[in-house]
Amino acid sequence: MLTNLEQLDNGVVWRIPGGIHPPEQKHLSNQTAIGTLPLDEYYYVPVPQVGEQASMAVAVGDHVLKGQPLTHGLNQHHLPVHAPTSGVIKAIEPRPSNHASGLPVNTCVIQADGKDSWVDLQSASLETLSNDDIVARVQAAGVAGMGGAAFPSHIKLSPASDIELVIINAVECEPYITSDDRLMREHADKIISGMEIIHQVLTPQRIIVGIEDNKPEAADALRKALSASKLPAGVARVTVVPTKYPSGGEKQLIQLLTGKEVPSGAIPAQLGILVHNVGTCAAISDAVLQGKPLIERVVTVTGGNVAQPGNYWMPIGTRVDHVLKCCGFNPEADQKVIIGGPMMGYTLPLIQVPVIKGTNCVLVPSSAEMSVDAKELSCIRCTECAQACPASLLPQQLYWHSKSGDYDKASDYNLRDCIECGCCSYVCPSDIPLVEYFRVAKSAIRNANEEKLKSERAKQKFEAKQARLEEEKRQREAKAKEAAERRQSNMSGGDKDAIAAALARVQAKKAVSAATPEAGADRKDKVADAVARAKARKAAQAAQSDSPAPEQNQANDAQKDKVAAAIARAKARKAAMQSDNEAEVDTNQTSAASSQKDKVAAAIARAKAKKEALKQALQAEAPTDSDNKSADEAADTLEPKADDRQARIAAAVARAKAKKAAAKDAGVNDPKGQIPEQNSVDSIAQSDPGELSAEEAKKARVAAAVAKAKAKKAAQQAGDSKSTVEDTQAESAEPKPEVELTAEEAKKARVAAAIAKAKAKKAAQQAGEGQGSDAHMQKQPADVNSAEPDSNSEPADVKPEAEPSAEEAKKARVAAAIAKAKAKKAARQDGEAQRPDNAAPLNDERSEAMSPDTDQSEQAPAQSAEEIKKARIAAAIAKAKAKKAAKDAEDKE
Amino acid sequence: MTTIITAVVLLTLLALVFGVILGFAAQKFKVEGNPIVDQLEATLPQTQCGQCGYPGCRPYAEAISNGEKINRCPPGGTATMEKLAELMGVDPEPVAAVEEEPVKKVAVIREEECIGCTKCIQACPVDAILGSGKMMHTVIAADCTGCDLCVEPCPVDCIDMVPVQTDLRNWDWKLKGLETIPVKFVEEEKSC
Amino acid sequence: MAFKITSSPHVTKNSQTATVMQRVILCALPGLVVQCVYFGWGSLIQVLLAIAVALVAEAAVMKLRKRAVGVALGDYSAVLTALLLGIAIPPLAPWWVIVIGTLFAIVVVKHLYGGLGNNLFNPAMAAYVLLLIAYPVQMTTWVAPAPAAQYSPDLLASISQIFLPGSGDINLFRLGIDGTTMATPLDTMKTGLSMGLTSTEVLAKPLFDEGLSIGWFWVNMAYLAGGLVMLKLGAIRWQISTGMLAALFICSGIGFMMNPDTHGSPVFHLFSGATMLAAFFIATDPVTAATSNRGRLIFGALIGVLVYVIRQYGGYPDAVAFAVLLANLCAPLIDYYVRPRTYGHRSGN
Repeated sequence: MLTNLEQLDNGVVWRIPGGIHPPEQKHLSNQTAIGTLPLDEYYYVPVPQVGEQASMAVAVGDHVLKGQPLTHGLNQHHLPVHAPTSGVIKAIEPRPSNHASGLPVNTCVIQADGKDSWVDLQSASLETLSNDDIVARVQAAGVAGMGGAAFPSHIKLSPASDIELVIINAVECEPYITSDDRLMREHADKIISGMEIIHQVLTPQRIIVGIEDNKPEAADALRKALSASKLPAGVARVTVVPTKYPSGGEKQLIQLLTGKEVPSGAIPAQLGILVHNVGTCAAISDAVLQGKPLIERVVTVTGGNVAQPGNYWMPIGTRVDHVLKCCGFNPEADQKVIIGGPMMGYTLPLIQVPVIKGTNCVLVPSSAEMSVDAKELSCIRCTECAQACPASLLPQQLYWHSKSGDYDKASDYNLRDCIECGCCSYVCPSDIPLVEYFRVAKSAIRNANEEKLKSERAKQKFEAKQARLEEEKRQREAKAKEAAERRQSNMSGGDKDAIAAALARVQAKKAVSAATPEAGADRKDKVADAVARAKARKAAQAAQSDSPAPEQNQANDAQKDKVAAAIARAKARKAAMQSDNEAEVDTNQTSAASSQKDKVAAAIARAKAKKEALKQALQAEAPTDSDNKSADEAADTLEPKADDRQARIAAAVARAKAKKAAAKDAGVNDPKGQIPEQNSVDSIAQSDPGELSAEEAKKARVAAAVAKAKAKKAAQQAGDSKSTVEDTQAESAEPKPEVELTAEEAKKARVAAAIAKAKAKKAAQQAGEGQGSDAHMQKQPADVNSAEPDSNSEPADVKPEAEPSAEEAKKARVAAAIAKAKAKKAARQDGEAQRPDNAAPLNDERSEAMSPDTDQSEQAPAQSAEEIKKARIAAAIAKAKAKKAAKDAEDKE
Repeated sequence: MTTIITAVVLLTLLALVFGVILGFAAQKFKVEGNPIVDQLEATLPQTQCGQCGYPGCRPYAEAISNGEKINRCPPGGTATMEKLAELMGVDPEPVAAVEEEPVKKVAVIREEECIGCTKCIQACPVDAILGSGKMMHTVIAADCTGCDLCVEPCPVDCIDMVPVQTDLRNWDWKLKGLETIPVKFVEEEKSC
Repeated sequence: MAFKITSSPHVTKNSQTATVMQRVILCALPGLVVQCVYFGWGSLIQVLLAIAVALVAEAAVMKLRKRAVGVALGDYSAVLTALLLGIAIPPLAPWWVIVIGTLFAIVVVKHLYGGLGNNLFNPAMAAYVLLLIAYPVQMTTWVAPAPAAQYSPDLLASISQIFLPGSGDINLFRLGIDGTTMATPLDTMKTGLSMGLTSTEVLAKPLFDEGLSIGWFWVNMAYLAGGLVMLKLGAIRWQISTGMLAALFICSGIGFMMNPDTHGSPVFHLFSGATMLAAFFIATDPVTAATSNRGRLIFGALIGVLVYVIRQYGGYPDAVAFAVLLANLCAPLIDYYVRPRTYGHRSGN
C-alpha cells in the first residue's frame, strides 16, 4: 500500500511528466498580511442541496446570528451552510451562481444588521472527543475542501479504506494565488492543529506537507509549528517540491511525493492516501476545537486592475462586486473578472454573485497581463500539448475528436482523465482553446450517458406496462369466459331467446347502417338512436321481468341487468360514433346546424339511455319494487349520485366529442359559431336529467341567457343565419326551474360544464383554419371585454344567497373558464391574422387574458381570496393556452 | 486441349469445395434472430411516443430492419436518423418536422384543474404519471420522456409541455452563448 | 457592466507557428551557404525562385479558398517548403523544374489536402518525387564540387543555365579535373558497386578525399550543425532525428560489417546525400510525422531503415524522398497503435 517509508522520510521527490512554468506573479498579493473587508449590506448564501438532501432551517423574515445553520439534512451527504453574519433573511430564491455559466441556484439572501453577533459556540478539547464526534463536528461546521473543489470534508474523514498517508496540499501552484501562502505564514499553528485532529481520526503512518520552493517563508513557518506540535515524532514532515504547474493537483501531488499513480476512475483513498488543503486543515481545527462553522475564508484579490491587491478574510456569501469595490476596482474596457487563477479559473458573466467555500482568488487582470484573444488557427500537429500534459494524454487527438463531435473516440483516448489544468492550451502555437473543447465534450458525454440511462428506464417501464396490460386483458378474458359459462348454465330458455333476439337486432342494425353511409343517414341515425333507446329499455325490462324471486336468481338478474346495461351503453356509444362518422362524411349535404342538432339529439339520447340502463341496474338491486316510476325516483334519490355524476360527465364529454367532430367537418369560417354551441351545451349539461336547486337553476338560467345573448351578438357580427338556429336550441334547452339538486350534483354540473368548455376550446382551436377578418379581430377584444361584466355579474349575484364559499369558488372557476376560452379564441384569431408577427398576438393575448383577471378582481373586490386566486390561476392558464394557440396556429402554416 | 479441360475441371472442383465450406459455415455460424433489430432499437430514444406510426420503439426498429424509412422518429432527431442510416447502410434522409435541436420537454399537470379521470395515465406509455381515479394526478418528471401522448386525452386540458431547464449539472459549457447575457441572469435591478 | 467571457487558461506561452518556422529556416541557412560554396550560386537561385513561386501560389490558393491570405503567408510554412525543395534539387536544373515542383507542392500536396496541418504527405518530398519521376535527366544532373571540378559555374553561368536551359552545355560543369563526369557520391557508389568495384575502390575516385566525399561531407555537417541548434532552441524535438540517424547507422553498420566491399560505411551513409537535411529539416515536419514520442522514434527509425534499404538495394541512388513519403503513409498507423500510457492506466490502455 505504501511506498517505502524511508523514501518519504527522506523527502524524496519524484517527477511528474509535462507541466509548464507560467510567470508566477505572486508578489502582487503576498507582501501584505491578510486583511478584512468592511461588512456588506447583503450576503448571498447558496443553498443548492435544499430540496434534495437538505431542507431550510430558517424562513424568510427570520433573524439569524452569525454562524447559525441555515439548512439541516438527514444523511451523510448533507453539507450545512451557515449565516456569515447576523441579520434577517430577506429572501430564499434563485439567484445567479458563482459559476462560469451564471445559471441561477437557490440562494438565501441575508440582510446584515451590522452587529455581526455570533451564535453561541461550543468549544471542545481533542482528548474528550471520539472519532465520530470529531467527524460530526466537522460536518456540522460545513467544512468543505478549500482548494477549490469544495468536497465535504467529513466524508473524506470517514473513508472506507485504511489511510496510511495523509498529504497536506500546500503547493498552491497556480500563478497569482497566495491565499494559502499567507495563511501558512500567519496561522501555521492552526494548520498544525488541524493536522493533529486528522491524525487522531485517521491514524495515518505519515503526514507529509507538500509545498513549492517558491514559498520559503511559509515552509519555515510550518516547520516551526510542526516542531512545537503534539504529533508523535517522525510522523509529519514538510517536503519541498520544485515549482512547476500543475504540481498542486491531487493526482500530481501524489505522484510527486510517492511516485504512485491513482488508478483512473478511482479515488486516492483506494491507495491508502488522502489529500487535504492547508485551508481545510485550519477550518477543521476551528470546527472541532472551537465549534466555529466555516463561514469565512482567505481569498486573494489580485490583478493589474485592482488598487489594493492582497489577501482578505471574506465571509462566505460576500458579493464579488462588493469585494472589488472595497479593493479599488478600476475596470477597463473588455474587463475580465476571473474566479480562481489564470490557468484554471473561470470568468464571471456578472459580479453580483457570492464568494463560496471553494473560491480562493478573485483576479481582475489588465489586458497586458493576460494573453491577447487570438484567433484559433489550424493545428500543425507539433504535439507540444502532449509534451506538456501532466496526465500523459494526447490533447491533439482529443481535440480532433471533440471538435468533430466523435465523443466515443475521444473517450477512447481517455478524455475523462483530463484534469483541465490548461497546460496544453498554454503551449499551443496555434492558439487553440483546447480545454474549452474538452469541457464541452465532457459535458456532452455526461449528458449522453444520462440520456441513455433514461431511455433504458423508459424502455423498461414501457415493457412493464405492456406486460401488465397483457396480463389484465388475459385475466379479463378469462373472467368473462367464466362468467359467460356460468350465465349460460344458469339462464332459462326464455332469457336466452330474449338476449339472442336483442343481439340479433343489434347485428341487423349494424348491417343496415353500415350499408348506407349517405345523405339520408341522418334520419337513419335518429332512427337508430331511437331504436337503440328502445332496445335498451326492452332488454333491461326483459331482463328484469324475467327475474324470479329467489336470491340466486336475484344475483343472476343483477348480472343480467348489468349485461343489459352494458349492451345499452355500447349501443348508445356505437350510435354516437356512427353519427359522428356519418356527420363527418356528410359535409356537402347537411348544413352544420342540422348535423349539430342531430348530434345534440343523439347525445341526449345516449345520456338518457345510459340513465335508463343505470336505473335498471338499480332496480334490480332494489328489494321488491318493479315499478319503473318509483324506480326512477329511487334511482334519482338513492346513493349513486356517483352514477348520475358519471353519466352527466360522460354525457358532457360525449357531447364535446360530438362537437369536435362537427367542428372538424364543418370547417367553419366562423369560430364564433362555437360560442352559441358551447352555451347551448352548457345549458344542456345543466338541464341533464338531474335536479337543480332553486339558486342553482337560477344561476344556470342566467348563464344560459348570458350565453345566448353572447351568441346572438357574436352571430350578428359574423352575419350567420345559423345563430337563430342555435338560439332556438338554447331556448329549447332551458333548464327546469322546479327540481331540487344537492350541492354535490351542482358541483358535478359545474365540472361537466368545465369539461365541456375545454372541449369546446379544443374544437375551436381545431376549427381555426378559417381566416379571422380584421373586423373580427377588432370586435373580439370588445366582445371579450363586454362579456366580462356578464360573467362577473354571476359571482356578484351568487353572494347575496349566502352559498358556501366552495360554491362561489366553483362559479368563479366556471366564469374564468368561459373567459379563458374566449381569450384563447380571440388570441387565435389574432395569431392567424398576423401570421408573421409573433409578438403582437402574444401581447394581445396577454392583455386579453389579463383583462378577465383584472376585471374580475376589480369588479368583485369582496370575493374570497380563494376565488381571486382561482380566477388568477385561470387567467394565467388562459394566457398560457392563448400562447399555445398562437403557436399551434403558426405550426399549421 | 487437355490443359483447358484440366483447368476447367480443377476450377469446378475448387468451386464445389468452397461452396460446401460456405454452406457449412452458414449453418454452423448462423446467428439466431436478427441482431440488427437490437442495435436499431438501442439507437432509438425510447420515448415510446408512437409518432413514427408504430406502437413503441421496438416495433419501429423491427420495421426498419424490414425496410421502413429511417426518418420517422422526431424525438430522435437528425442524430438518431444518421445513426440508423449508418446501421442500415442507406442514405440519410432529413427527418420531417423536426427543428435543429429538438427541445426536450416534460409534461406538467396543473394540479388544481385535474379531475382525476386517469385518461392520461392510460395514455402514458412509460407509466410516468402517478394517480388514481378521482385522485389528483402528477407527472414523475424523471420518468417523463416528453412524448406528448398525454396532452390529447386530458378532458380539461390541464397538461403543459414544459422545456427542461438547464441547471448547473447539465450545462453544456458552451461559452459562446454567454457573450450577450440574457436578461434573466443580470440581477442589477434587484434591490439587494 | 458586461464582462468579457473567455475560457481558461487565460494566459498562454504566446508561441507562434511563424516563430517556429522562422527558426527552422534560419538554421537551414548555414547548410545552404555551404552548398553554394561548393556547388555555385545555382542553389541560391533555385531557392529564391522557389520562395517567390510558393508565396504567389499560396496567396492565389487562399484567395480561391476564400480564406485570409495574410494569415497563411504569415506563418512561413510555404517559405520553408520552398527552401527545402530548392535545396534538394540540382543547382543547375532548369527554372521550370523548380516552378513545377513548387506549384505541385503548395497547391496540390498542401492545399488540396486541406491546407496547413491537414496534409498527409510532406509537400517538399512529394514534389521532389514528382520531379524525379517526371524529369529524371534534369534531376540527376548534378554539378561537380568546386575543389574537384574542372569548371565551376559562376553567377552568370548559373543564371543562364537555369533560365536559358540548353544555351550552354551543362555537362561542362559536371566534369572533374580528370575529365570524367562526376555524379553525387551515392550515385557514384551505386554505379561503382554495380560494376563490380569494391566500396574501397569507389572511395578512391576523385570525388572522394580520404573516404569522405568532397563537398557533400561539409554540406551535411553544416546541416547537422543547424539541426543541433534547432534542438537547443526547442524548434524540434530529438526523437525523429535520433531515430533516423541511429537506424541508418545501425543498418549501414550491419551491412558494412557483413560485407565491407559491397556496402558503404556508416560514415559514408550518414554524411552523403540528403541524410542530415532529411534528419533535421525534412523528416521533422510536424504535420506529417507521428505525434507521440515513442511513435516518433519509430517513425524516424522507419525512415532510416527505408533510406538504407532503398539506397543499397533499390533503383535510386538517394532514397530520402521515397523513404519520407512511405513513412508519412505509416504515420497514422503508428499513431493509432503507439500511444503514451495515460496517468492512472496500466500500460496497454
